[in-house]
Amino acid sequence: MTRRQLVGRALGVGLSLPVFGGLLAACSAAALTEATEVEAATPPAQAASTRPLTPTFYQWIVDLHPSLPLVNANFQNTTPLNFQIAPVQGFGIDRFVAEARDKSSTWDVYVGMTPFVEMSALIEADVIEPWDNYIPKEILNDIIPSIRNECTVNGQLYSWPFLLDIITMGWNKGQSDQAGITDMPTTWDQLVADGKQIMTSNTAPYGVVFDAHGWRSLAPITHSISTNVYTPDLFFDFNSDPALQALDIMKQMLAVSAPNVLNTGTTDAGVNNTPDEDAFAAQQATYFVKYQNAPLRFAATWPDPSQLQLGPLPKAVGGEGATVFWTTGACLFKYGQNKDKAAEYMKSLTYNDGIWKDSISGTPTSHPGQIPPYQSYYDKWSVNQPTWWQSWVPLILDQLKVAKAIPNQKFGLSQFQIGQSEWEKYLKGEESDPKVAMRAAWDAVQAEAKKSA
Amino acid sequence: MASTTLDFRRGAASGRAAFLARQGANWVFLLPTLIFFIGWQVYPIFRVLWMSLTDYHFLRNQPAAWVGFRNYANALADPILLTGLLRAATFTALFLPGMIFVPMLLAILVDRVRQPTLAATYRLILLIPAVIPGPLIFVLWKWLYNFNIGPIDYFLVQVGIVTPQTAPQWLGDPKLTLPAIALMEVWWGLGYHTMFYLAGLAAIPKELSEAARVDGANEWRLFWHVTLPRLRPILLVLVVLRFGTAMAVIDEYLILGGFNRALPTYTWTVYMWDLAFQIGDWFQGYAAAIGWIGAAAMLVVVGGLFWVFRSRD
Amino acid sequence: MATGELARLGVRSTAGPRRRPVPVGTIVRHVVLVAFMLVILVPLAWVLLLSIKSIPDAYRPGFWPQHFDFTHYTYALTNIPTLPRNMLNSVFVTLSTVVITTICAVLGGYALVHLRLRGRAVVLGLLVASLFFPTRVTSLIAIFETQRALGLINTTAGLILPYITLNLALSVFIMRGIFEQISHELVDAARIDGAGPWRTLLSVLLPLTRNGIVVVIIVNFVSAWGEYLLGVTLTNDQEVRTLPVVLAGAFGGMGQWAWPRIAAVYVIAIAPGLAAFALSQRWYMQGLQEGALKY
Repeated sequence: MTRRQLVGRALGVGLSLPVFGGLLAACSAAALTEATEVEAATPPAQAASTRPLTPTFYQWIVDLHPSLPLVNANFQNTTPLNFQIAPVQGFGIDRFVAEARDKSSTWDVYVGMTPFVEMSALIEADVIEPWDNYIPKEILNDIIPSIRNECTVNGQLYSWPFLLDIITMGWNKGQSDQAGITDMPTTWDQLVADGKQIMTSNTAPYGVVFDAHGWRSLAPITHSISTNVYTPDLFFDFNSDPALQALDIMKQMLAVSAPNVLNTGTTDAGVNNTPDEDAFAAQQATYFVKYQNAPLRFAATWPDPSQLQLGPLPKAVGGEGATVFWTTGACLFKYGQNKDKAAEYMKSLTYNDGIWKDSISGTPTSHPGQIPPYQSYYDKWSVNQPTWWQSWVPLILDQLKVAKAIPNQKFGLSQFQIGQSEWEKYLKGEESDPKVAMRAAWDAVQAEAKKSA
Repeated sequence: MASTTLDFRRGAASGRAAFLARQGANWVFLLPTLIFFIGWQVYPIFRVLWMSLTDYHFLRNQPAAWVGFRNYANALADPILLTGLLRAATFTALFLPGMIFVPMLLAILVDRVRQPTLAATYRLILLIPAVIPGPLIFVLWKWLYNFNIGPIDYFLVQVGIVTPQTAPQWLGDPKLTLPAIALMEVWWGLGYHTMFYLAGLAAIPKELSEAARVDGANEWRLFWHVTLPRLRPILLVLVVLRFGTAMAVIDEYLILGGFNRALPTYTWTVYMWDLAFQIGDWFQGYAAAIGWIGAAAMLVVVGGLFWVFRSRD
Repeated sequence: MATGELARLGVRSTAGPRRRPVPVGTIVRHVVLVAFMLVILVPLAWVLLLSIKSIPDAYRPGFWPQHFDFTHYTYALTNIPTLPRNMLNSVFVTLSTVVITTICAVLGGYALVHLRLRGRAVVLGLLVASLFFPTRVTSLIAIFETQRALGLINTTAGLILPYITLNLALSVFIMRGIFEQISHELVDAARIDGAGPWRTLLSVLLPLTRNGIVVVIIVNFVSAWGEYLLGVTLTNDQEVRTLPVVLAGAFGGMGQWAWPRIAAVYVIAIAPGLAAFALSQRWYMQGLQEGALKY
């Protein structure tokens, strides 16, 4: 789940930092093979603690998890805590970077980092350090391997994963039944055909909606065809055949979608409160392609929320059938304090049963719909299914097995932002050749990369 | 000293010390106003001017270095700024006519209403948008203009003017965004500006219009030759004031358009804010230069307007 | 001074027989006026209705709900954690701003009209100039710096200082206009009675300026209550922020910010302004006519 104002900030930071792309790529590639047990090393000497543990969160994480104050209250029983919320506007990682330049940090740990978004930039700017010296060995080995790989750079864990997002599909079964659709669409062609049937039968004004941001649409659709679409520098290869095919699929989806689905959102620098959410909440569209918590949250306002069904992302015929996932987690400030306490805090946060219950079964105020990054939870639940269990959890977990994270790289997120206005020219009909549009996107990204080199 | 105003101390000593003491006592009345005014309006303007002549980055720790007019030179060559100024000007052009003529029409209509209670009711309702704070008006219209859930598009679809596929995207379609915001501004200004005009109309002596009517003038000629000239001072004040605020609009754009550079709501004011408080190292020196360029552009046009209107009277 | 009197009396010089057919012009006039009234009232009615719709109805297209749900108001106040605090912040900042600005405006307007001041023209000139210069936007960066130097960034009370200047010049001018309307004989009489400047102001003149003060109060109330730009720039934490800043940044779709709930918060946000206006509208109208618009 990304609520990224830092989207713009990441771009800004990317522009102002020197590029160690090749080195980083080599390290990341090496990291993908790491999954072995790690001995707990003796933590290095820390800065003397002059303040209580000071974590900073993004407001939306707090909004989504009503149990968070309970976690904090519990933690405060044993350890003093100065819980802060990251300012919503004008904050971003620039502040972190500026402080790191002075070798200081107001905060100790930052919860809200997504590896493919800010992690590379934060590492390069020497703002954060790995958790390996502080995270207990059992926890490190409990993290699901693909997630651990996502959070690992150079063999070390830089992000302590907390929330997991996977791009999947949700739909309004009441509407699909009404339109006479009996099966869940499993291929893109089927999805588009079903969307069309929804519209021609006047069941709903629009058939399919999706989030136009690249990492929520173009990338997962491409992954469903093939995940081998990244250059050696770990840039998304806009010119590759799978990407071109994905763009074409998006164009077909657009034809059965709401006309405003390409508009930016209305909050958080346009990244959130996007039109697809409104449409699905208002039951104006039947099929919804986005990370799993979106259909869960926006079906909550239906007269009958039980009509919601979740399923895997459709695949292309003969395609790999993968999708995109990412985690939002915590990073440790290199110049912060209380590092072992930070690890304890993250442990108490991420192993809190209340948080996961709220997340999976939903509360009256929110339905985060995110699942734990730890294998032990699933082992526990498969033996002893809780009363509040929801059937979509194993489905999402299965998707995790075939999902691939967008590689960590300074332009991991911003490449999609930069390229969006270019590939959308083809979607909007302003450019008739998809290859031209994608090449323009590629060129724009490379131009930005060169600028910051 | 000729006593043009009041000399409060009976039998006051006429020496210099007494004069200064009196002046001092009098200036005390203005002191609170001056403290706030100078501290938070006058000084900041000049401070921003100083900032614009340096390379001050808020998030950097190096002291700001003097760069002279380099920021200004870069800004004037900055396509985003130039587009931004153009967008602000477009909005102003869209918004001024509605802001001037609709309240005038309303004022004339209300002025003619004879029943006192009905007239009072009309005035009351008209003033309602004026007592709702601006940002809350913008939030309301953000919801009204919502494509999926807003009532405007729902109404248009229901009535059959458009289909769900062709319904206007008020805030998403770059062609419609500025007109939509201009419409909202006119709605907002209905009350306050109508009151302006009503005050002006009430100042027109009844005998004048009666005499004109007796002379056989119809409504249109009455308006053109009697009413309009009398309203000219009010028109001038309104146009100049509103022009200024229209060019410098920022809240509306932040609330209704965000930071999307492709939308026409990304004007020079939003660009300034973006640079000063969000992007990169917060290059406030450059943002300050942008602020002053925009202000200067405004002042030039305001001065021009004054000149144009002044020569008539 | 009594400029609205004639219109209120509805004086018509051409009298006619009682049961005259209503002229077409009058009908058209009222139709147009009523249309405008609807244009003003319908959006507000929509928001009010939205705040009492059940959640599914709020997301379903349609003006009139199938089920009413009046719980959103209490829900918003109890379940959105920072909301009561945001409202309190708004009240605190607005009241302080209104009180301080009114005092400044009364003192300043009085001084500019009735007291001898060398350099009065300079002050007046500065105030006028500030009305035309886009101070608010251009000076924002320096205001941020000043507040930071004073340690007031991300504090609620710190907002009061720049808020005062939002309408200070305008308020001074309004009061100046009002004071100019007061006949000089009154002031001379007070002087002859031996009253000093303070006593003249407080006991003699102030009661006469009530309508003007009401205008100043309402103008400042409206602008301080709904202020957005300074709030969003100078404060960060949700707990410190005022209501409009939080409202403008809230989602329309998620959980606690679902449409009817956010509409309820909105109605709560505009209620004080409307209530204050309704209670004081007679004085406000009179104040506008007396002199508030004559600057």
